[in-house]
Amino acid sequence: MLGGILRGRRTILRVPTEADLDGMARWAADMRVRAALTHAYWDEPAARATWKERLAKQSEAKDSVLWAIEADGALAGSCRVDYSMDPGAFGDGGIGITHFTIDPERWRQGLGWDAALTLHRWIFDIVHARSAATTLAAHNAAALRISERLGYQTYAHGHAVYYGDGRYVDELQQRMELATWDERWGVAEREYPVPLGEELEK
Amino acid sequence: MLGPRLDGERGVALVTPTLDHVKRNWEWMTHGETTRFWGVRAMDLRPEYAEERFKKLAEARDNVNWSIVLDGEQVGMTGLFDINWITRDAESGIFIGRHDLYGRGIGSEAIRLRTAFAWQELRLRRVHNWIAVRNRGSRRANEKAGYRQMGRYPRSWFRSGQWHDEWLGEIFAPGQQPPGWV
Repeated sequence: MLGGILRGRRTILRVPTEADLDGMARWAADMRVRAALTHAYWDEPAARATWKERLAKQSEAKDSVLWAIEADGALAGSCRVDYSMDPGAFGDGGIGITHFTIDPERWRQGLGWDAALTLHRWIFDIVHARSAATTLAAHNAAALRISERLGYQTYAHGHAVYYGDGRYVDELQQRMELATWDERWGVAEREYPVPLGEELEK
Repeated sequence: MLGPRLDGERGVALVTPTLDHVKRNWEWMTHGETTRFWGVRAMDLRPEYAEERFKKLAEARDNVNWSIVLDGEQVGMTGLFDINWITRDAESGIFIGRHDLYGRGIGSEAIRLRTAFAWQELRLRRVHNWIAVRNRGSRRANEKAGYRQMGRYPRSWFRSGQWHDEWLGEIFAPGQQPPGWV
């Protein structure tokens, strides 16, 4: 599936289109992005026709959602989540973040944090998922800062799991609970900040 | 099935949907303003899927679909679904995609037209639906048309810090009301 509009303070997560594919292809072939090492399907370089096919398959997929990340009116990244398709499990199971890329030309502008916070508002405030999970390479300091600030905790530490730039790198498997979201962000990060009260029910 | 044109009051009409209408409805469903009581804002948006869905809607014998227009401009959709031709019962639904037009009675008029069609053209006996209790606009529009609460489903779903109950409603064709139905 493709994700609809989620507004952050500096970024907008929106429906990805074919016009976004050139940017995504460029990042996939950028060694700065690939240095994160936790390569996923969407990170691999491919021919234009394959990118179009990926977008069509993603739209059709029932077990995942892809968004384009926009900032200042231009494409600035993309992110993707997946979840269990077991009957009744949507949101009850965990939601996994399987892809999260910011245009390397726009790193260190706070866009990753803003987009990540917005994405987690969808996960916890809209879907009401019980947990979110992600896997990060241990040397990915920027991603780890974001995940720590959000409230992720490492539950597994794999040793020498990834290989790149001439060395092995550890893997951190992380998880964040709904209760943590509620405690840290639940009050300030409401998709609909004004609750509908009982008086409106009459 | 695709419904025929039904002209109402104040510029509101139900018209036969087109593929472009379906695509525009889906685009509206990606916005937060229209989906507080709707899905999770994630969909299959391939043009070929829209075509496939539209074809299936048109071919189905157990539903009737309309686009809602205001002064000739599409603003949403409505329909009668899961029609049981034996018990003459159906479920109804409505979606207004133009959130800037909320509160203007468009939904009320669309529901009035749809309900009249259900009785006078389809010879249905009963129509039922479910609406988030807090979706006051939709609930009132249905009540105005004559729907009555038959129950309430508590804590149906959770969003943005609060649980939402569902209001379960039903309406009967004139003369078809069961004994005791108010």
